[in-house]
Amino acid sequence: MIHYSKDIDQIVTLTLDMKGRLVNVINHEIGKVFIPVLEQLKAEKAKGKLKGVILTSAKKTFMAGGDLDYLYHADNAESVYKISQTLKEFFREIESPGVPVVAAINGTALGTGFEMAMACHHRIVINDRKIRLGHPEVSLGLMPGSGSSIRMMWLLGIKKTFNILTRGKSYTPKKALEAGIVDDLASGRKEMMEKARAYILANGEVRRLWDTKAGRIPGGTADHPKVALEISMISASLANGYKNNFPAPKAILSTLVEGSKVDFDTACRIESRYFTKLLLSKEAKNMVKAFWYDLNAIKEGANRPKGFGKFRPKKVGIVGAGRMGSGITFNCIMKGMEVVLKDVSKGIADRGKEFSAKKLLDLVEDGKISKAEREQYLKMVTTTESFEDFKTCDIVIECVFENEMVKSKVTKESEMHMDEYAFLGTNTISIPITKLAESSIRPENYIGLHFFAPVEEIPLVEIVKGEKTSDETIARAFDFVKKIRKTPIIVKDSWGFFASRVQNTYILEGLNMLEEGYPPALIENLGLQAGMPKGALALADELSLKLVLKYEDQASVNYGPKYIQHPAVSVLHKMVNELSRTGQSAKAGFYDYSNPEQISLWKDLGEHFPNKVKKYSEKDIIDRFLFAQVIEAVWCLQEKIIESVPEANLGSIYGFGFPAFKGGVIQYINDYGVKNFVAKCEELENIHGPRFKAPSLLKKKVEKQEML
Amino acid sequence: MNEAYIFDTLRTPRGKGKPGGALYEVKPIELLASTLKALEQRNNLDTKKVDDVIIGCVTPVGDQGADIAKAALLYADWAQEVAGVQLNRFCASGLESVNLAAVKIRSGWEKLIVAGGVESMSRVPMGSDGGALLFDPEVSSKVGYVPQGISADLIATIEGFKREDLDTYAMRSQQLAANAWEQKYFDRSIIPIYDKNGLLVLDKDEIFRPGTNLETLGTLRPAFERIGIGGFDAMALKKYPFVERVHHGHTAGNSSGLVDGAALALIGSKEIGEDVGLKPRAKIISAAIVGTEPTIMLTGPTPASKKALAQIGMKPEDIDLWEVNEAFASVVLKAQKELNIDDDKLNVNGGAIALGHPLGATGTMLLGTLLDEMERRDLSTGLVTMCVGGGMGIATIIERV
Repeated sequence: MIHYSKDIDQIVTLTLDMKGRLVNVINHEIGKVFIPVLEQLKAEKAKGKLKGVILTSAKKTFMAGGDLDYLYHADNAESVYKISQTLKEFFREIESPGVPVVAAINGTALGTGFEMAMACHHRIVINDRKIRLGHPEVSLGLMPGSGSSIRMMWLLGIKKTFNILTRGKSYTPKKALEAGIVDDLASGRKEMMEKARAYILANGEVRRLWDTKAGRIPGGTADHPKVALEISMISASLANGYKNNFPAPKAILSTLVEGSKVDFDTACRIESRYFTKLLLSKEAKNMVKAFWYDLNAIKEGANRPKGFGKFRPKKVGIVGAGRMGSGITFNCIMKGMEVVLKDVSKGIADRGKEFSAKKLLDLVEDGKISKAEREQYLKMVTTTESFEDFKTCDIVIECVFENEMVKSKVTKESEMHMDEYAFLGTNTISIPITKLAESSIRPENYIGLHFFAPVEEIPLVEIVKGEKTSDETIARAFDFVKKIRKTPIIVKDSWGFFASRVQNTYILEGLNMLEEGYPPALIENLGLQAGMPKGALALADELSLKLVLKYEDQASVNYGPKYIQHPAVSVLHKMVNELSRTGQSAKAGFYDYSNPEQISLWKDLGEHFPNKVKKYSEKDIIDRFLFAQVIEAVWCLQEKIIESVPEANLGSIYGFGFPAFKGGVIQYINDYGVKNFVAKCEELENIHGPRFKAPSLLKKKVEKQEML
Repeated sequence: MNEAYIFDTLRTPRGKGKPGGALYEVKPIELLASTLKALEQRNNLDTKKVDDVIIGCVTPVGDQGADIAKAALLYADWAQEVAGVQLNRFCASGLESVNLAAVKIRSGWEKLIVAGGVESMSRVPMGSDGGALLFDPEVSSKVGYVPQGISADLIATIEGFKREDLDTYAMRSQQLAANAWEQKYFDRSIIPIYDKNGLLVLDKDEIFRPGTNLETLGTLRPAFERIGIGGFDAMALKKYPFVERVHHGHTAGNSSGLVDGAALALIGSKEIGEDVGLKPRAKIISAAIVGTEPTIMLTGPTPASKKALAQIGMKPEDIDLWEVNEAFASVVLKAQKELNIDDDKLNVNGGAIALGHPLGATGTMLLGTLLDEMERRDLSTGLVTMCVGGGMGIATIIERV
């Protein structure tokens, strides 16, 4: 499991190679295996027969991250704290045999895996762009728990460490060197080992900075007035955009601030205590559920139609080189697919290609790709004004503007040249796929692909099944979306699909509050405090009030006589018909866009929607915002608009920014407690009307005492 | 019950509270010792008769550390029998010392007390003492603690005070302060500061600008906008979500200035006054302290004043003259509006916007300014009130005898 070898310079190389595993993992066993080895090293050192230690791995990766299954299910503070401390003691042993210990990082080391590297005196990594290093814990609502925060602070200072740990980036070796979290790069394994040996021979007895009397934290401790002031600003900055709904960045900051004022081992205990608190927090559990369990369930294809071989598209045709088409182009070429980008003229298509050229330049500057690679990627895009070039495409994605006629025309002209195995995806936000498919000669190969803006960033695509869409086409669309590293969720062809339909309830709830006489700023701020990315009124303006209304009209058609009009519809009618304020694109909506420097709520809003509510409970308002969405999402599950909980959760987080710290729109119910949730629905229904009625699916869950 | 009488009040001139200010070279202990000596001399005081010296100081570290009250007493050659204590109730420290002295006298346990305050903001800058409220992220984010300028801007935003309102108030403070100096209204209380050779260092407040007008005030940049955008505005809106955005109207011109200075008040019972031959000028008839919402922080003057008034069955209109500390223009405007104070009864000789706010000493200075002016105008009742960090308010009511 640990290969021990000693060379003539009395340098010991320890090569980790855990049996029966693809990767080396750090768990309670590792300590057991390591301790005798460390004892032996100490004995050799005492006899003067040890110059240094090189720690490396026989696996493809250096060391895997923490055990998320354990972390997710942990519910006992005492045992979490204990395990955190035990692991720290082990790492402390690694860094204190009295001789240099070098981490020879041959592969990826993230999270707990990187903790091990941090516990070595010197880190050398093979300069392979595929290798990823660092501490991404924050993206799961967590933080390092084995001393890395404190070690990094001693190496880089409070501010840099805070930035690294809260951004949660995974670094390439080159970027890791620039960030200062590794010390040296090597061209390959051989050079890495040579450099490790050279470091050991050049450095006799080494001690970590924090174990020396003269050692100081770079930039000073949090007691230093200048640092203290900076920290108060950093702390305040966490309030911007209500990022402080997420507990991890706060815990990281406090760990560093408090840890900087005491000795290393005490600081490590402070880290363990914050880590324990964080790990047991609802927010972290929700985030692990969403970004680990739910995401994996989707990726593994739980909802992909079975029985169809993996689809490997090589060439994608894209109609429309606007913001959406250009973004999808970039996504495709980055995953090795050729793209034919078509617009009405080659010139316009070329401008779409420019977008990729710019994005690729950023990657070159980031050190992620070379200049030559950039050229290769760009060569994969052909621009054209002719549909004929779609002849050899496996997929054609149509992203022309939201107009049925235009879309039909494009469909027909594309299909004329596409072969019968290729499928056509339409990117629409509000036109039914089944209707659009009427103009298709192969409706079984016709499907909705609802991308979200900004498309190169939002990792979600709604795959919309038309009535005649074949399972094979769904499976292929699924594989394609996965190939461009986005999360595919499969939804039924119904008004607003899933994401927009649920999001619309948030907007309508806000509009309704306006009608009820709540101050508009309150509506907006409490929407943000709830964790939504934008206020309800701002969002209505952004989407355009007409679209918000259109979804509601579609709902009314869908439910027929059963439809109960949302009370906010009158607000929309008033704004659109009486006041002619249809939103941002009209430069007039709930907001006034006349001064682009400072967009403010329309000052006459109070005249048309007078402020009647003076006393209110902020919590009730936040509940209304979130409950409206959650209930709608449950209806979507019940009506089979969406099939699974993981899809609903990720769809809500990625699709419209439902708070990630709640784990998504369905996890919210588990977080709240199913029974409590239903009880609260009844309370809200009594006050605000039937839109808060709990769907029967939830009542069944309560009866069976199940979670969702 | 014993009554607490004020026999004398005095203060140093206020020097600019930054390196380069006239009192920057003067140690805070020197400021305090000079006023103690002056108090002793002009009252012909047998210092042995003094039970305690209570000194407010907001940043009690470095030069101001380790109980500067007792240190200054020893340094000023006061009798070793006199005790000294330093206290910190943020900006109200210099009034808290007065109120505490009154309470002690009224209890009968002590007879003669010196209350006061000292602050050398040039030598011991604000925040030098750290503290959890602003510098411990776990605490500040939970409490929603923002710098006071943000709170002042929040008050102005909610109350609808425009930048021009704030500047107009600031101009008034400057004009009244200049007038007071011109008319020698401060002369009775001012103790000039001399060096160890007897050479004059400063005999007049240093930072007020008689020529100030709206135009020059209007050119000043909002002082708290940058840190507001940095996140403190968002912290404020978390507590006040009905506010769309914080308007940053406060500048260096309509906020209190940073200054150095010290002030004292001699307070005692009627009997001790007769015993040592001191003539009472006024008595402290009520004192109150309150806690308020900590994010907006500076709304304490109204509830504190109301509490102090209610204790003695008085109403705001019963007060002849007011000193509402000019921490920020919006603080005074809000208190004026809520307590319905006439312009000609409010801060009639300017205030901290023109003259500066030597944190620990200001409360005692306001008491002295108020009493001097009450005597000059021959008025009966006066009230001093201040907003206080952490979300507090303080008030003291005096009556001439």
